[in-house]
Amino acid sequence: MDKHLVSPNPHIHAAVSTESLMRDVIIALLPAIIVSVLFYGWGELLILAVSALSCVLFEWAIAKFLFKDTALFCCPAALVTGLLLAMNLPVSTPWWIVVLGALFAIGVVKMSFGGIGQNVFNPAIAARVFLLVSFPQQMTHWTAPAGFIHSVDAFSGATLLGQVPVLGALEADKLVSLQTLLYNIGGSAGEISALALLVGWAYLLIRRVIKPWITLSIFATVAVVAGIFHLADPTLYTGPLFNLLTGGVILGACFMATDYVTSPMSTWGGVIYGVGIGFLLMMIRYFGSYPEGVSFAILLMNMTVPLLNRWFHGKKYGRA
Amino acid sequence: MTTTFLWTIGILAGLGLLLSLVLFFIAKRFKVEEDPRIDEVEAVMPGANCGGCGFAGCRAFADSAVKAPNLDNHYCPVGGDEVMKKVAGILGFEAQAKAPMVAVVRCNGTCENRPTTNIYDGVQSCKVKAALYAGDTGCPFGCLGCGDCVKACQFGALSMDPVTGLPVVDESKCTACGACVKACPKSIIELRNKGPRGMRVYVSCVNKDKGAVARKACKAACIGCGKCAKVCAHEAITVENNVAYIDFTKCKLCRKCVAECPTGAIHDVNFPKPLPPKQPAAPKPAAAPAVAPKPVEVKKEENNG
Amino acid sequence: MAKLTTFSIGGVHPDDSKIARGCAIEVLPLPSTVYISMAQHLGAPAKPVVAVGDKVKTGTVIAEPGGFISAFVHSSVSGTVKSIGPRKDIAGNPVTHVEITVEGDEWEESIDRSDTLVTAIPEDRAAILDRIKACGVVGLGGATFPTHVKLNPAPGSKAECLILNGAECEPYLTSDYRIMLERSREIVVGAAIMQAVLGGCRCVIGIEENKPEAIAAMDAAVLSLGYPGIEVLPLKKKYPQGGEKQLIDAVMHRQVGSGALPISVGAVVQNVATALAVYEAVQKNKPLITNTLTVTGDCLPVERQHNYLFRIGMPLSFIAEQAGGVPEAAAKLVSGGPMMGKAIANLDATTVKGSSSILYLSEAATKRGKESYCIRCGRCADACPMGLEPFLLRRLYVAGDLEGLEKEAVQDCIECGCCLYSCPAYIPLLDQIRMAKGQVMGVIRARAAAAKAAAEAAKAAKQ
Repeated sequence: MDKHLVSPNPHIHAAVSTESLMRDVIIALLPAIIVSVLFYGWGELLILAVSALSCVLFEWAIAKFLFKDTALFCCPAALVTGLLLAMNLPVSTPWWIVVLGALFAIGVVKMSFGGIGQNVFNPAIAARVFLLVSFPQQMTHWTAPAGFIHSVDAFSGATLLGQVPVLGALEADKLVSLQTLLYNIGGSAGEISALALLVGWAYLLIRRVIKPWITLSIFATVAVVAGIFHLADPTLYTGPLFNLLTGGVILGACFMATDYVTSPMSTWGGVIYGVGIGFLLMMIRYFGSYPEGVSFAILLMNMTVPLLNRWFHGKKYGRA
Repeated sequence: MTTTFLWTIGILAGLGLLLSLVLFFIAKRFKVEEDPRIDEVEAVMPGANCGGCGFAGCRAFADSAVKAPNLDNHYCPVGGDEVMKKVAGILGFEAQAKAPMVAVVRCNGTCENRPTTNIYDGVQSCKVKAALYAGDTGCPFGCLGCGDCVKACQFGALSMDPVTGLPVVDESKCTACGACVKACPKSIIELRNKGPRGMRVYVSCVNKDKGAVARKACKAACIGCGKCAKVCAHEAITVENNVAYIDFTKCKLCRKCVAECPTGAIHDVNFPKPLPPKQPAAPKPAAAPAVAPKPVEVKKEENNG
Repeated sequence: MAKLTTFSIGGVHPDDSKIARGCAIEVLPLPSTVYISMAQHLGAPAKPVVAVGDKVKTGTVIAEPGGFISAFVHSSVSGTVKSIGPRKDIAGNPVTHVEITVEGDEWEESIDRSDTLVTAIPEDRAAILDRIKACGVVGLGGATFPTHVKLNPAPGSKAECLILNGAECEPYLTSDYRIMLERSREIVVGAAIMQAVLGGCRCVIGIEENKPEAIAAMDAAVLSLGYPGIEVLPLKKKYPQGGEKQLIDAVMHRQVGSGALPISVGAVVQNVATALAVYEAVQKNKPLITNTLTVTGDCLPVERQHNYLFRIGMPLSFIAEQAGGVPEAAAKLVSGGPMMGKAIANLDATTVKGSSSILYLSEAATKRGKESYCIRCGRCADACPMGLEPFLLRRLYVAGDLEGLEKEAVQDCIECGCCLYSCPAYIPLLDQIRMAKGQVMGVIRARAAAAKAAAEAAKAAKQ
């Protein structure tokens, strides 16, 4: 080069960009996605594709034509939203509901707040809750898996959590075994394998994409709250293991609650946030009318993030 | 069912009534007595709250003007004489007429005149760039081209010319509030008398380097030769630190200096007729340089339209 | 091996890229002309005491301090003063330089040019300080703060620990590493001298673990010379370990308060290169006219990389020429490390006392990515070694909230570059925070001045 660059320091940069971080999240989601496709087959693949494609398309179109600023369009970030949304839907969801959900996630929850980095709520979760209250029938219609792997003990009709009022807490607790860790039939497609989700989470930790504190504090709170209630009356309240392994706790704690934009930045803020999610979700499960509380708990705690960011800061050097 | 409706409506209406009464009494009780003329003055102000007058905003200006013994220290550059006449009328003061001013960019270091020597890769901010180094050209005094002045202008009167890389002032929009003058870390922009029908003459360079150095960095630089000061019959031009300056209060717009300047650093704008390239009356005709400022004149006039 | 120590807050781990670590220090030939800058140190520029036409020898004083915080400047060559006037520095800004035409290489007679190691330390503390001052020694770790001022803390404060900074945490740079290998005994004597000046405090030489050879060499030198109270402390590799406040935290586990000096926690930090300069000044009477510099970069083949002993005032372009010219692939030239160094806008500029490198970075390594939007990942806050929140500081700066900036401690920023280095959205955090810091420092200084004036007025009113 005949003319050289001049800029303030630093002159080098870490090998990390918004795109690379989001790519890592997608890679981390792959094990769970593969397992869900194996169990649910082409239908699941279709939902994933429709959701991801429409999220990317909506984000690009809104950034390009409404904001007229393509810097707002981050393809991998929109993909993450799309995949997470798909993983939170039952496999039988009609395609147009998926598209509607994607439009809500990107258009209303993300872009209307100003786009990437500005949204208050996690787009995928907010869209899921939107669909849940708008289409309660379709959204709780759980079908038996008809994928490439057939499970003998698969049962259809309801999720494990949905079994609680039917069977009672004692019987429901017995349904949870080591097998549940590997695969857990019924419920949203993405929740099928706790192990696959945890593998993805471990990948994110190793790549230093996220820190473990939020996820761990959710797990700990769920375990403690469920433990206390379960000890008090095991016939009414399901135990810690059941509550950790069923529903979207692992998916929510590992991938949704840890979303950069809608979670606190400081470690202690993150811990409080996690404890809040764990506590709220257990309250909804035990006392609410919905069997599943992860989405609502995360959305509620999303609202506290600005406050948590204001109250909790890292330790400053040389200041008490 | 109907009773529920009625109760709801009744309670809401009652609540509304009660609260409005509370608000009414609080407003009465804690009302701050203010000079009513403050509101009147504020009403005639332009309302841009630009701070060009030196106060925090139009209301602060009105507040201070009402309390002041005269209007010597109060002048709204945005509203100009017209607004000040109204303000003076309200307050019963004598309005002092001031010549209208306009922001003038005193750098002609276009991409062509002033070749770059390196590429700036930091944040697009003149302030940051100026703190870092002398700039991406050989001239350490000239425009840095990141557009801090454009960002500072509330009236949309400034824009960056993508061809020259320099800011351009739209005279019809410029209110001479001085925000750009403060924003420019190189102190290139100056508020000057707008002049009769916008005609004015100024040195479009602030380079304090010695002639040869300045010339090497920029073809349109003032080299501090002093020819303009010699030719000026009104003692309006001073040369200090290798750069000429035209005092606009003394300049009679004769344009002798424009013809004299060997580098075309002196600009004349909005004159109905451009200076002929060769002036027989001039003692030392400077053929080539006189051509240089011409495209700039044309552009400025276009922008005024 | 015991767990290595490091500073407690933030930090980043760039690849250390010490490609030139194997290159022994070479002595550069003399150029035909040197340009010696009058602003080579923190504080007031020096005032020239020579006139055009004067004959000078190597080591002759050519400028004296221009204030309390300032330093002597010496001629690094023998020859004739050709001119004194403004010349552009690496940023392109004019600075007064003394131009000297080189004629031979005749040194001042008072300078001991032999290689003999002088280990006996003079007893008179004031004499040592005078010698350090007269030889124009300044801190060579980056800030170029006059050493005699730093070694003479205000009465009432007591130095407990002299920390010798051999961290060299900046990637690419190897000059400190090379002098620790090749001049280890001189450095240890220099440390012992500073120890004596500070009243016999202990001395810790902090070296990062990625330089085991330097740790071994310094250990051996300490052992063989047998000065009491000097030890070598290996540190975990983490940038910015060599930052004064970070090194104090790493070595002493104490933190310097905001706006306070290291001596407030009993620490004095000096670079290993400064220790070498102190040794040469006190034991050899040699002023600071040479220093070591690395010519390196990711786009420079390893066989063209060098560690040079240069005379201060040699133009950078001359040194680049000696090393085979600027490589074609170089997109940015940096003086200093890639994290805190200054980009060279003018290669004709001259070397100064604190020059530590000419670094050639390729476009891939150095060109900034396209700025996008903050995703609130908090990486900048995790990286900040001062525990600040750069994303917040930037927002406050854009909003013009000086009060908020001061509350969020923008004035504590050490401008290490960790925030921008780690930002995935390439937001120019440090560019803007540095501006904010300047503004807030201005407010703080104005307030201090006003408070002082008010106190004086009150005092005068009492009398």
